[in-house]
Amino acid sequence: MSNAAASPRSLLWLARQENRLSWRDLVWLMTAGYRWRGRSVVIWLFIVAVVMHVIAWGMVARYAGISLGAGIDALIAISGSFALAFFLMLSQALEQVTRLFYGRGDLDLLKSSPVSLRRVLGLRVLSVATSTCTMTVFVAGPFINVLAVLGGARWLSGYGVAIAGGLAASGIALVLTSALFDLMGARRTRLAAQIVAAVIGSAFIIAIQVVAIVSIGTMSQTAFFHSETVLAHAPDADSLLWLPARAILGDAVALTVVLVIGGAMFMVPVLLLAGRLGDYALAAASADVALGRGNRVGFTSIFLGRFRATSAARLLRRKEWVLLLRDPWLASQSLMQLLYLIPPAIFLWRSYGAAQGALIVLAPVLTMAAGQLGGGLAWLAVSGEDAPDLIASAPITERRMILAKIQSVLLAIMLVFTPFLVAMAAQSIEIAAIVAVGIALASTSSTLIQVWFRSQAKRRYFRRRQTSSRIATFAEAFSSVAWAGTAAIAAGGSWLALGPTVMALLILTGAWLIRPK
Amino acid sequence: MIVRDMESNGGAPSQAGIEGTALAVRGLRKVFQRPAVDDLSLDIRRGEFYALLGPNGAGKTTTLRMVAGLMKPDAGSIAIFGVDALAKPTAAKQITAWVSDEPMIYDKLTPLEYLAFVAGLWGVDPKLGEASARDLLRWLELAPNAEERCEGFSKGMRQKVALAGALVHDPRLIILDEPLTGLDARAARLVKDVLLEKVRQGCTVIMTTHILEVAERMAERIGVISRGKLIAEGTLDELRRQAGSKVGDNSLEDVFLTLVAGEEPTP
Repeated sequence: MSNAAASPRSLLWLARQENRLSWRDLVWLMTAGYRWRGRSVVIWLFIVAVVMHVIAWGMVARYAGISLGAGIDALIAISGSFALAFFLMLSQALEQVTRLFYGRGDLDLLKSSPVSLRRVLGLRVLSVATSTCTMTVFVAGPFINVLAVLGGARWLSGYGVAIAGGLAASGIALVLTSALFDLMGARRTRLAAQIVAAVIGSAFIIAIQVVAIVSIGTMSQTAFFHSETVLAHAPDADSLLWLPARAILGDAVALTVVLVIGGAMFMVPVLLLAGRLGDYALAAASADVALGRGNRVGFTSIFLGRFRATSAARLLRRKEWVLLLRDPWLASQSLMQLLYLIPPAIFLWRSYGAAQGALIVLAPVLTMAAGQLGGGLAWLAVSGEDAPDLIASAPITERRMILAKIQSVLLAIMLVFTPFLVAMAAQSIEIAAIVAVGIALASTSSTLIQVWFRSQAKRRYFRRRQTSSRIATFAEAFSSVAWAGTAAIAAGGSWLALGPTVMALLILTGAWLIRPK
Repeated sequence: MIVRDMESNGGAPSQAGIEGTALAVRGLRKVFQRPAVDDLSLDIRRGEFYALLGPNGAGKTTTLRMVAGLMKPDAGSIAIFGVDALAKPTAAKQITAWVSDEPMIYDKLTPLEYLAFVAGLWGVDPKLGEASARDLLRWLELAPNAEERCEGFSKGMRQKVALAGALVHDPRLIILDEPLTGLDARAARLVKDVLLEKVRQGCTVIMTTHILEVAERMAERIGVISRGKLIAEGTLDELRRQAGSKVGDNSLEDVFLTLVAGEEPTP
């Protein structure tokens, strides 16, 4: 009874309760609810930490010597990296703040209790900030550690900047969510916030790539940060824009300012909006009840027709597509990966008629995207079946059912990637054919892995699907990478493409051998 | 209603099966950590309303899931209208419907679309399927919601949609696992009326329930299962006799508690 010290309903008592829930949620996320996984999770975390430090070493070791007097190009590169991390933090914070209001869990219990809802939600916003900072520190930690070991303790100020960034991102997320509630109403805010979160998470890197393509004709953001174009337009070295970069480099004054600004960006919105948090939560609950009432058949029926198919396979395919298209959250989550195809599309458009080198660059990007999209869609179709009993009790064989679901995934992939392949074929039929094969292999591999490792789950757990089988997650990712390598090397005309092909086949064989029986 | 030709699905119910037993279960066994169903045999007559009762964890749901083809038994046989459900699962499923306590429907489909989908899975002609779906929705008082997505429906409405799904392909055996759980009085009455009407039309119904009053009023015969075994079976009067003289003319609740108490492990 560790809560005995804090009187019930006090801020400390509530904070302890929140901490316990957050901790258990984190443990569940890592162990998927299996207690016996605890030890292996610790071992995995250790291995991941070591690997992350090795990767960080390879990536940033050469920058450890950069000092406070560094030139503008160093400030641009550091600021660019910080901005990228900040947008990811903001995306995560926005999603978590939204969940505060719409997560059913214990919110009904709290709302029905005499505890101040304002106090509870205020605390939960604080826990969002804590988890955002923790996540940032976890990801940025290895890089900061490597820099500190090689370049001195001054680099440890990076942790302070990460914390300030987490606080600022949480404050902005709260303001954005509040604005969405006021502008769009509770019913639309959930979806809008999730889409905004996904767009923010990918917007920076996509924007940089697009600008890089348009300005210097490359998709590499590193090359962009060091380009003459950026140097020419960058503000002077004493600009306030470089404060976070200076703080990361160990400038104590800059770090203090960044921490104060970050803290203020969190505290001011919390204090100003605290009184409205309870109203938002109540409005969200009402919106949840009203959901679906009067939500009549929409465009999906017009495009996909009615359920009048002549075969069970066609019915199942149609059902998968209708369910996906009618669930804007799922559609946005799975199709958001397509946002990353915008830079390749622009690159394709810009390089039309140029040398084939541009097409070769796109081969792995498209293949990888197909593998990832295929995996997500396959999980939804195979594991995320909302009426498993209905399908299992229907007079169709399991083989036919699985086959129909695989077809639904592959046809969707085909629909998405065909425009790219047609555009590529206009320049080189040979490379377009190679990429088409790569896309087919990557998406089929991901789909098969999801079939082999299928385990029934609710569709709303789509974001957490990786926790049910880490082997499937890694196998899917590595097979996509291997097929992307195959496509890239084959598009370059080299027989060395056989190397990653063999690797992909080995991954698939391994996954098949250790699949749950 | 036109049901897909049995022959095309690789098995046809025998004439003897059609005329005799609707469901014949022999020596059914399923072991998880311990035996959940243990050498269970059961015969349910055509057109009969049969209630399967038992305490929590007795093996009722496991038994019904095996009969519905949702789970494979470790041993035993299941024949539905003479069709060997283990050897020819597709043919057996063609004439069977399953409804669980937790209605599993698609939130993003309307009831009408859901029923069209289910009818399609069972190979019902689309026109007949739609007509039947509209009739069922009217019958179950869901007609005003026929073209609204199910995502905002209450538990009772969802259960009625699931029940309509079970009936839309005109099954000959309906298997229901606690179908009245969480329903209000009006919805529960409607579901009971629909089931009794289906029995009057010749359908066979097997249902588990914890509401003993429902079993007492609706079922022609009742089976009591405990620790995976069928410990008593018959009409209410027959069960009273099996329970012994202590229960007299008392309710099914008394009979049930007496029967089950005899099976409890001694401390």
